[in-house]
Amino acid sequence: MKIIVRPRITFWRVVAGVIFLSGLYSTYVRFSGGLGASTALSDRFPWGLWVGFDVLCGVALAAGGFTMSAVVYIFHIERFKPIIRPTILTAFLGYLLVIVALLFDLGKPYNIWHPLVMWNPHSVMFEVAWCVMLYTTVLALEFSPLLWERLRWEKPLKVMHALTVPLVILGVILSFLHQSSLGSLFLIVPHRLHPLWYSPLLPVFFFVSALALGCAMTIFESFLSFRAFRKRLELHLLTDLGKVIVGVLALYLTLKLQDLAGRGALRLAFEPTYEGRLFLAEMVLGTIAPMVLLLIPRVRTDDFGLFVSAVMVVLGFIMNRLNVSITGMEASSGVAYFPSWTEISVTMMIVALGFVLFGLAVKYLRVFPPEEVARPAAVELPAPAVLRRLRQGSTAVVATVGGVFLVLVLALGYSGLRLRPTRAWAAPPAAEGDLQRGLEHFTVPPDIVYQRSEASPGTVTFSHASHIDWNRPRCTVCHHQPYSLVTSVSDRSSPRKPPGDMHAEAFCGRCHNGKQAFNVKEDCATCHKGP
Amino acid sequence: MATGKKKGLLFDSTRCIGCGACYLACKERNRLPVTAEDPLADELSAVTYTVVQNRRGRFVRRLCMHCEDPTCASVCPVGALEKTPLGPVVYHPDRCIGCRYCMVACPFGVPRYEWRSRTPRVRKCDLCYDRVAAGLPTACAAVCPTGATRFGDRDELIEEARARIRAEPDRYHPHIYGLEEVGGTSVLLIADVAPENLGYRTDLSAEPLPLLTWNVLKKIPNFVLVGGVLLGGLWWITNRRIAVARAEREALGTNRQTEEGQPSDREEQV
Ligand code: SF4
Ligand code: SF4
Repeated sequence: MKIIVRPRITFWRVVAGVIFLSGLYSTYVRFSGGLGASTALSDRFPWGLWVGFDVLCGVALAAGGFTMSAVVYIFHIERFKPIIRPTILTAFLGYLLVIVALLFDLGKPYNIWHPLVMWNPHSVMFEVAWCVMLYTTVLALEFSPLLWERLRWEKPLKVMHALTVPLVILGVILSFLHQSSLGSLFLIVPHRLHPLWYSPLLPVFFFVSALALGCAMTIFESFLSFRAFRKRLELHLLTDLGKVIVGVLALYLTLKLQDLAGRGALRLAFEPTYEGRLFLAEMVLGTIAPMVLLLIPRVRTDDFGLFVSAVMVVLGFIMNRLNVSITGMEASSGVAYFPSWTEISVTMMIVALGFVLFGLAVKYLRVFPPEEVARPAAVELPAPAVLRRLRQGSTAVVATVGGVFLVLVLALGYSGLRLRPTRAWAAPPAAEGDLQRGLEHFTVPPDIVYQRSEASPGTVTFSHASHIDWNRPRCTVCHHQPYSLVTSVSDRSSPRKPPGDMHAEAFCGRCHNGKQAFNVKEDCATCHKGP
Repeated sequence: MATGKKKGLLFDSTRCIGCGACYLACKERNRLPVTAEDPLADELSAVTYTVVQNRRGRFVRRLCMHCEDPTCASVCPVGALEKTPLGPVVYHPDRCIGCRYCMVACPFGVPRYEWRSRTPRVRKCDLCYDRVAAGLPTACAAVCPTGATRFGDRDELIEEARARIRAEPDRYHPHIYGLEEVGGTSVLLIADVAPENLGYRTDLSAEPLPLLTWNVLKKIPNFVLVGGVLLGGLWWITNRRIAVARAEREALGTNRQTEEGQPSDREEQV
């Protein structure tokens, strides 16, 4: 059985090709035209999809990595050991992709290193920046044995082995800080974030939901790589992960309900508003549904059931992050944000990049336990029928279930979108101001005496008082260049030198043209009154 | 005039006649293009740091409030925004990384961004920092023909505002906006109506927003220490238990072959 070397054109390869091409074009747009040309962001809505999805969700991919390494290396529950490598790989990729996304999203990506030397410990973003840098390093180190193994370098392998426990401890601490700090980012906007999502417990929510996501992603990836490479984790391990997810989601749900009730925000979820609907979509489909599914032993011990529940957790998680960063911020910003196609295609490119890199790693490095490669038919599985279904009809089934899921979310989401308030930010109806009170304090700027030039029939004195519309004084009618404001107030003492030919259109001639006011060419003595 | 005291602006809406002098003076001082014929129709933007608005017949200015404990400066990861001792909150574009957290966090929605630029900067009023440092009033205050915008020491301006309200209780709503909001601001506002009628938000507490995150952030060093010790300790205990168990079994003469499933094979992989 020889593997064909020439890459075959498959459906997924074509999809990937399209994604990468459009992503590259968007990259060009982003870096040649700036954020304005490539995003739907605006002064009112400065953070969008790249922050909400690429960064917030990308970081959470790492959650599986640190939980599992803590479980295995610190608590010595070693039957989870086979899970370590795929989770570390996911975490590492997640962080790399977050860095890529940041390069797109930062206005000045070439300054990305600044937090290294310019410190502001009061900023959550500063903490985030350091966590990204440090944890990427830790993950790179934790990941490196896979490379050394492949290269058969014994020395670094030994060093890494000795470093494992300190690294794991460092990683757990950094991860804890980082997952929660992404929630803390939003602590400072109580006035902007919708009460369904704003909570002093945001850091806790972000951390706990990241744990659930970490486990779900492990299940999800294990199944994908089984489809692609016939490499996977044993089902009983995944079932255990499913149980963990139930626990974590239950904790999350309890905390969330308690917090909402405590702040009196619970009823907002059931009001027919944009935010209410999307909140329900997130909670029902992303938290409660998978929890219930995984509680059923038949689902938990079945490939397909596990897979679908994991997908629901992942989608629910994504919805949550998007709700916090986008949905919840819209009302207060007064604009409706929807990502531009460039934003979407860059995001898709980054996700696709993640899949490709994961695939390459699984193919060339020992990510999954070696014995599984030799026995692709997953010996432990009691029900071969389930397996067959997964292998043969799984694309169709997954597509169907995914479709149904999407339709549900879209329905809730769409009914939410329809409820989106259309806020007009046009200025409120202008009424004529009561100028009287203000005019009491009005000091008419002093007259300006202009130096007399040789050809002039007499000195000109400009009177502010006679040039003002007393019903509605407006300085802006005349005061743009050359009649500067700031410089003229600082020097009012001596006669002023005329800045140019005052009869010209740039100066008095602008209005004294016979239409708006008498013509400068009419009677010289009207203005040239002085000696 | 350049005493070391904190400077500020007092804006008195009842004196404002919407003439737009402050708008133009700001444009002039910052060398910005004039973006609207009628300043009342303009909006804050990357090239407009202050506007005058007509809110149902009352004129009101919009500009950076120069908070006493500025949220924008607190959230900036690289310290690109800075509260100067004189009062102005200034921006250092060469430090900025462009994360736009300041824009998200500012409670007054002030900072603007140069979206179309490849080297974009955050833009906002800097309270004419150079002029103020040189002892001059801000450009907007210098040109205001009615004294609706007044420049001075912040504490004196507060006294002045109080005095005006006391002298003409019919003319003024008693609230001095900016005295306490988010811990106080260098720009103060008085008017004949409550500030929400002028488009100023009134749901801000007197507590500076940066405290919300600082209360969490300041726990980090402790957390790292305690967490490290705790995890290290846990590892040591579990490790030790396993070692002890193994030693005991060996002492009992148990054959190692039979305990395949035991986690004794730690040399296998990392
Ligand atoms: S008003 Fe906004 S931009 Fe101005 S100092 Fe306060 S937080 Fe910063
Ligand atoms: S955009 Fe610039 S100034 Fe604003 S918070 Fe980010 S780094 Fe600081």
